[in-house]
Amino acid sequence: MSSSAVEPEAADLVCQLENVQGMVDSLSAVRWKRHQDAVVELSEHGIVLILEESNCLQAKVYLRKELFAQYDYNAEERPRFGVSLGLFVDCLSTFTVPGRATAIEIRYPGPDMQLLLKSLDSSDACIYAEIRTIIPDTVSWDYNFEPAGSVPLSFTVKSAALKEAIDDLEWPGSSIRINLKPAPPSVSFRGEGHGDLQIDLMYNANSDLLLDFNCNRPVSHRYKYKFLRATTSNLPSSVMKENRGSKLTIGRGGMLKVQHLVPVGRAPFPNPHVIDSASHQQQPGRIAYIEFFVKPEEEEDDARND
Amino acid sequence: MEFSLSGNGLKTFSRCITCLARIGNELAVEASSSQLEFHTLNSSRSAYQSITFKPGFFDVYTIFGAQVKFSVLVKAVCAVLRTPIQSIDHLRVQLPDPDASKVQWTLECNNGMRKAYSITCNVEPDIQHLALDRNGFPSSLIVRPRDLNRLLANFQSSLQEITIIATETTSLPSDADSETGEKAVELRSYIDPTKDNDSSLHTQLWIDPTEEFVHYNHVGDPVDITFGVKEWKAFVSFCESCEVDIHLYFEKAGEPILMAPKVGLSDASGSNFDATLVLATMLTSQLREENPSEQPQQAASIPAQAVRQKEPQAQPESSHRATASEHPSDQTKIWSDLSARSGSAAAENRQTAEDRNLSATDLRQSQRLGRIQISENVPAGAPAASRHHTREKGPLEEAQDTPQVNDNTFSQRHPSNWVDATEVDDDDDDNDDEDEMCIQSTPPYCEEH
Repeated sequence: MSSSAVEPEAADLVCQLENVQGMVDSLSAVRWKRHQDAVVELSEHGIVLILEESNCLQAKVYLRKELFAQYDYNAEERPRFGVSLGLFVDCLSTFTVPGRATAIEIRYPGPDMQLLLKSLDSSDACIYAEIRTIIPDTVSWDYNFEPAGSVPLSFTVKSAALKEAIDDLEWPGSSIRINLKPAPPSVSFRGEGHGDLQIDLMYNANSDLLLDFNCNRPVSHRYKYKFLRATTSNLPSSVMKENRGSKLTIGRGGMLKVQHLVPVGRAPFPNPHVIDSASHQQQPGRIAYIEFFVKPEEEEDDARND
Repeated sequence: MEFSLSGNGLKTFSRCITCLARIGNELAVEASSSQLEFHTLNSSRSAYQSITFKPGFFDVYTIFGAQVKFSVLVKAVCAVLRTPIQSIDHLRVQLPDPDASKVQWTLECNNGMRKAYSITCNVEPDIQHLALDRNGFPSSLIVRPRDLNRLLANFQSSLQEITIIATETTSLPSDADSETGEKAVELRSYIDPTKDNDSSLHTQLWIDPTEEFVHYNHVGDPVDITFGVKEWKAFVSFCESCEVDIHLYFEKAGEPILMAPKVGLSDASGSNFDATLVLATMLTSQLREENPSEQPQQAASIPAQAVRQKEPQAQPESSHRATASEHPSDQTKIWSDLSARSGSAAAENRQTAEDRNLSATDLRQSQRLGRIQISENVPAGAPAASRHHTREKGPLEEAQDTPQVNDNTFSQRHPSNWVDATEVDDDDDDNDDEDEMCIQSTPPYCEEH
């Protein structure tokens, strides 16, 4: 649709994305269940998707406006709507073509508050989709993540290794304890179920497994396996291929924050159908930020943690 | 007790565990200063696998005290080896003391991760021991796993039990055509007649042991062995991945068979490690048809057989002359349905196959496998009892052939290639145990060409 004339009501957001696959990858990373409702927030900074489960696990996807070839934001208040995540991702997937980058335009809202998607690639055919949105509940989830102290407790580990470790930790069939020790600097994941498994990651100069490590006192917290699993179960293969790292931080009360970086690559060649208002320079490493927050399991004694 | 492995030893170890996991549920471990032994028994107690490692197989092997025994679930060990072998630097297994309740399996991975699995073990395991002397078996064959897989591919993949019929290879007369090797060995699918098997595919495969096997030795009367396919395939896969041939030792129906990798002289690692699989065979011989109601056709369980008693075999050794009173079993009924034959005066008409629309040859063609050729000479003689799967052709029989089969012409469609109860009036076909007669192939191909 050409937007040459002034429309009666300008859409809150019209944005164009050069490579749909990147968005599919980043949204897929937060799919851990078949039916998930996401809350989408649009702002002048970009698009944020938030998901939650059982008051124990929250996930956020940040798609900054710099990822988009074009980003026209015209709303007065930040629009907020709910959408079925599976539906949204599957719909975006239909726009993808294996082997090449495909560009789409996302527009909100449609006449009936729908999310509108349109393909931009070809001049003689068009794929057009409308997705129904719902009014989200105004539940405030208390996932305020605060640092555990003055010194952060965090480590960065290869995403592929993290996924491998969490997959292996399925065997004990129990909740997983994460231990951080300052000396010798190490992280361990431990499960004690019908068998015990402990996975140790040492931090030393030679290892490229632990890329970063900050810890000034021993910390130990337990997390339900299925929530921990959700943080890595659907990491896109592009993350593994690019050898990226994931950062885990333990905050106040033992809340665990897991951050991934998902490449939302630009097309190798500029897409002639897309008006590229972004910098003409090829920006390497266009990234979507994925964050998971996992609440710890209750401990009998909380003396050792703040 | 402690041992440690890396590199190729670890690969072999992993293959052993995979094979053991396909056989049984519980892994019994016995460690002594001279060797480490793993064994497992399957749930129906018809397959027993034992793998022995010498201390030299390991990078480190230490044992405190005389002997250590424990057992673990094989599945747990499989969980340890889920990590790809190429990303493991080494594996260390530790039992801190003989009474410890957990065994530690520690993986040091190439990327710097250490994975320590603590597996519950049972220190008073009920360990079965089975030691069969492979030199005590009269017959044996050696086959390459790839060749065996190729032969087994002819059988329905869901096949549960298989029969091998081994006959003595006789020397051929000099006028034998070079392409007609002596098909001294038959592989046949075994279908339990008590089960509902209307949709099963029955397959028979005659092979020339000199072509298919690296080595074959059987003298004396034909014997048959029927055993489970699933465990056999597990062992074949194991040998294939280790790139060794399979040595199969057997005696006769009812006696267990033994399989071991055939280690060549140049295979140095083979001296450090040995594996054997013992499979129980069915007590009832397929070579002699018996009324199934009289004979429960169950696979024997190993412990009974392991003692190798000369238990009275189920089937008497007497010969059965073909008589009209012979009742076909359900097994042969199946064959006859498949090989519809044109009616003949002499043919028994117990079967209902006569009126099938499909021509018998079409059916046979569709079930025909690449290798079925009978080419042995048939000694002229009376239509005396012979093996069901090979029959002499008297003139009476020739008349009964399906129209496409000419007298005296070799044909792949020869009805006598099939277990067929319609032949009952002829030389007995129903699995008679004619020990005094050798397997005769059908007709006189050689004489004609």
